[in-house]
Parts: sequence; C-alpha cells; structure tokens
Amino acid sequence: MHAELEPRGLTVVTVALDVEPSHTYQWIDAAAPTHPSLIDTRHVTGELFGFINIPMAVWIDESGTIVRNAESASIERSALRDIDIPDGLPERMTRMLQEVKEIPDDAAAYRAAIVDWVERGAASDFVLSPDEVIARSRPRGAAEAEAAACFELGQHLRSTVGEEGAIPWWRRAHELDPGNWTYKRQAWTLVTTAPDATENDLIQGPNDVYTGNWLDDVVASGGGANYSTRPQL
Amino acid sequence: MIIEHDEIDHVTAAAFAAATGWDPKPEGLCRGEVCVPAPGSLRDNGTVDVYVAASRLGMPVVTDDEHAVTAIGPGSTTGHTLSSAAAPDPELITRDGQPFRISSLHGRKVLLVAWASY
Repeated sequence: MHAELEPRGLTVVTVALDVEPSHTYQWIDAAAPTHPSLIDTRHVTGELFGFINIPMAVWIDESGTIVRNAESASIERSALRDIDIPDGLPERMTRMLQEVKEIPDDAAAYRAAIVDWVERGAASDFVLSPDEVIARSRPRGAAEAEAAACFELGQHLRSTVGEEGAIPWWRRAHELDPGNWTYKRQAWTLVTTAPDATENDLIQGPNDVYTGNWLDDVVASGGGANYSTRPQL
Repeated sequence: MIIEHDEIDHVTAAAFAAATGWDPKPEGLCRGEVCVPAPGSLRDNGTVDVYVAASRLGMPVVTDDEHAVTAIGPGSTTGHTLSSAAAPDPELITRDGQPFRISSLHGRKVLLVAWASY
C-alpha cells in the first residue's frame, strides 16, 4: 500500500508494540519496508492513540490532525479465514482457528476507504471531524486509565529489575482492562514462548503466571466476532 | 509517566509537560488553549507537585513501594482516549534504534498502523 499511495501523498508508518525490540527484527527485515518502520517498547502509542489490539490504525492528515480514530486496520483478507481446518489438530488449535474465522473481515472496505481519503482528502466521506474523532475514540474510565499506569509500571520494572517485576503490575492491568488485548498478548507471549524459540508463541495458552490465555479470553469476551474494533465506515 | 521516588519532588514543569501533554503554568495545567485550574500544582521553584497535578487531571497514580517507583497514567476526565484530535507525537525508535517522531512527516497524510510480533 505504501508503494502504491506514497506518490499520491500518503506515508504508511508501522509501529510495533513490542517491549523487546529484537522480537520485531526478523519481521521487519523480512518485509524490508520502504516506509518508516518504528518500534514502541513502552506501548505508549496504545495509551495515546487507543490501540488495544493489532492490527489497528489511525489516519493523520497533513496538519497533524487525526481524522479517523483507532480501529481495526486489516487491508487484505487473512488466508486463515478461508482455510478448511484440518482434522487431527490439537483441540485447542482447532478451537482457536474456529474463533479466528469468526473475526469480522472489513479489509476490502477499509482499504477502499483509505484510497478514497488519499484521493479526495478532507472531502472524503471517511474523514471525521475533531469532535467525531474524540467521541469515537475508545471510552476511557478510571479503570482503563489505571490499567495504563500499571502496564507502564510493569514495563519499566521489567526493563530495570527483570520479568518478575512486571508480572504483578501486568496482572493488575489485565484485571482492570480486560478488553485491552495488547496488554494481555504481550504478557502472555513472554511467558509461553520457549526459551529457545525463534518466534514468539502465538497460541498463548494456559500458563502458571497469568490467569488468562488467548482462547479462553476470546471465548469469554464473546468469541472471535467481538475480537476486533471494527471500523465504522 | 514513570518517576523514581528520589525524583518525585523534583519533576520540572517541562518534564511533566513532555510526559503528559499538560503544561503546568501559573494559570493551571494547559494543553493548547484549554487550561485546568490546579492551584498548588506548580511550585515557586518551577517543579510540579505531581500528586496535585494528577488529581486535577484525573490521572491515576500507581506506586511500587518495593522498587520505589511511581507511574502516573493518562487522564480519564473526558471519558475517552482522545481529548483532542491533534495527533500525539511520542518519540519512537526505528529498527536501528534511531529516534523518530511522526511530526517529521508534517505536510503528508499518515496512516499509522500498529502491529506486533505476538
């Protein structure tokens, strides 16, 4: 998308919400991006823009104004949605794939909306007013704000005293803001990934450190159909 | 915003503004043209009473006593993640560890896409 739309005035900027920069390197290097490819080790963009899962995106115009708030941002249909789940997989894997197939697919419409914005600018029907952007941004009450502080404190302690410093604060963040998937997925993968693994564990199953895990939390929140922040196009 | 306890009485107005987006001034805590009255938050020596400031802005204060460090979270008084449509501009890093701000792309449309390795 960047190569297609960059000449027409759009810069795609990717930002990885990863507390360990090294975990992103193989993905960035494989993609060899020509656009700015950034890393957010503190998840500060989650707090500031409202990213609570990935992929999500915001649109920022030429003046530095957000014209669409954070929302799910797939721009191409995931191959996982159309696969026939093979027989013989471990039950948990089968159930995970079933939930993944239920995640709403807005990729084509979202991509078309971006192209419309690039072509028509402020006249695009998909551009929101500042008041609309604020009103549509994720509700944040006292619990969500405290969760952000707990996650940041955990991240700081992880970097200064080690993993054990983060755990109680990340547990608290999960309790306070169960709808924030980046807080949970980040924490889970750090304890479920084998020490000698070359990639982060994406299954993020039951573990002895945190109460939740990907599959059970997705099911508890209403299933894959409720997993993403669907764009209101 | 992370504050080590031996620094908590020495947070400058500039440091508080850089971390929270709210600039402590004599008239209050200000972001753009909006100022929240906050008597007692800005000391005469230019430092900030972070507890007073956080309270006025509805920011949670979370403390780890064992490690003597405090985190101040985002405000929640507006009820939404965004209190303004002005894009925040945190310092991020590139693949090579170089600092980068989205504001460096001023004048272009930006699609900021969040992803992760997990």
